[in-house]
Amino acid sequence: MLKDPILKSKWYHRAWVASGCTTVLVSLAKSVTVAADSGIWLQPILAGLVGYMLADLGSGIYHWGIDNYGDENTPVFGSQIEAFQGHHKWPWIITRRQFANNLHTLARAVSFTVLPIDLIFNDPVLHGFVGVCLGCIMFSQQFHAWAHSTKSKLHPLVVALQDAGVLVSRSIHGAHNRPLYDSNYCIVSGVWNELLDTYKVFEALEMILFYKLGVRPRSWSEPSPSWTEETDTSSLIAES
Amino acid sequence: MASIPLPTAKHSLPSLLHAQTPKTLLSQKLPNLPKSFQSQFCGVKLSHSSNFAVPSSFKKSSILAKVSKGSVAPSFSLKDQDGKTVSLSKFKGKPVVVYFYPADETPGCTKQACAFRDSYEKFKKAGAEVIGISGDDPSSHKAFAKKYRLPFTLLSDEGNKVRKDWGVPADLFGTLPGRQTYVLDKNGVVQLIYNNQFQPEKHIDETLKFLQSA
Repeated sequence: MLKDPILKSKWYHRAWVASGCTTVLVSLAKSVTVAADSGIWLQPILAGLVGYMLADLGSGIYHWGIDNYGDENTPVFGSQIEAFQGHHKWPWIITRRQFANNLHTLARAVSFTVLPIDLIFNDPVLHGFVGVCLGCIMFSQQFHAWAHSTKSKLHPLVVALQDAGVLVSRSIHGAHNRPLYDSNYCIVSGVWNELLDTYKVFEALEMILFYKLGVRPRSWSEPSPSWTEETDTSSLIAES
Repeated sequence: MASIPLPTAKHSLPSLLHAQTPKTLLSQKLPNLPKSFQSQFCGVKLSHSSNFAVPSSFKKSSILAKVSKGSVAPSFSLKDQDGKTVSLSKFKGKPVVVYFYPADETPGCTKQACAFRDSYEKFKKAGAEVIGISGDDPSSHKAFAKKYRLPFTLLSDEGNKVRKDWGVPADLFGTLPGRQTYVLDKNGVVQLIYNNQFQPEKHIDETLKFLQSA
């Protein structure tokens, strides 16, 4: 058993995940019911597909930003930045986190984003996009955790989805989790990774930010020893 | 490429780029992209005069060209990494590879500098000298050269004056200084211009190939 208690889900983790899921399900339900009433199917479905694609792209951009800029003292994002650096050091811990513990930060953001949209709008195309996009973003941490797991520990359906490229695969994400941590940032399906890396999109953005603002991204330097992946994990797991 | 240095002109002249037979070495592997983007990612080389009809509407941009193939490179005097003033005229009598790069200590520029370092003996064997130019100051160049053991001259083009004089085009809608390399013959006449922002090592391949075949 793990001796680190912060990997377990607390009640408020579960509450945030429940609220996030509720807002997303309401959005999807609105999309389906209004679409059924109006008899239109294609546009909401296409909107959902666009949402799925943009969630992957969005996950990459956000991940790139958090991995490369700021530190634990940055307002709003500080704790996440620290958590992401900690993940590079101990990548396997994500597979030990309980479900709500892993997702609650994203679920909270999704709740605040989707709730007003649920309350204000009824358009099935908008809800098709929002429900799928924000749903994928909320669950991206679960997809991320599965990408760190071993094949034998995963449900065959998850493995099938990873192999089909619907969810980010263990090998594609594994390519990110090594110094300099400068590629394969997308973690929903990973479909954008090849394009973004081939065209060096993030490198271009990094160059522009460096040239205009003088900030160097973390991926330009070897990680400091304190943040390099720790392979000796005996201190973190108590003997059962 | 050098005859259309302005970013806006570059992006609106895909057919002109094509007529100049750019080396799009990766183009077979990459999905179909507008040619205007291909040059930034796959490189564009001008090494021989190409006889093509320039539509009259584009002639204006060629008049604005600063340094192009066949022209004598304008002289300059800049400080090197030791603070000594170096003039381009000092190198007359031998071929010179002048490479403009965005900034010291950035991944692409480091790769490029190290690639020039690793092939430096080959450049010397071809009788050529190598000069790197960026807007960084001499102390930045000194640290950069020391860290990566660069055996060639780095010049400080403070204010990017020479870059502008030579008409080195900027990339990404003007947000990034371009990465462009010129090969001058022993008379100081430009014989090759190669531009590629994101594949810096190709500058070494292309210029060495040219020098060795000359």
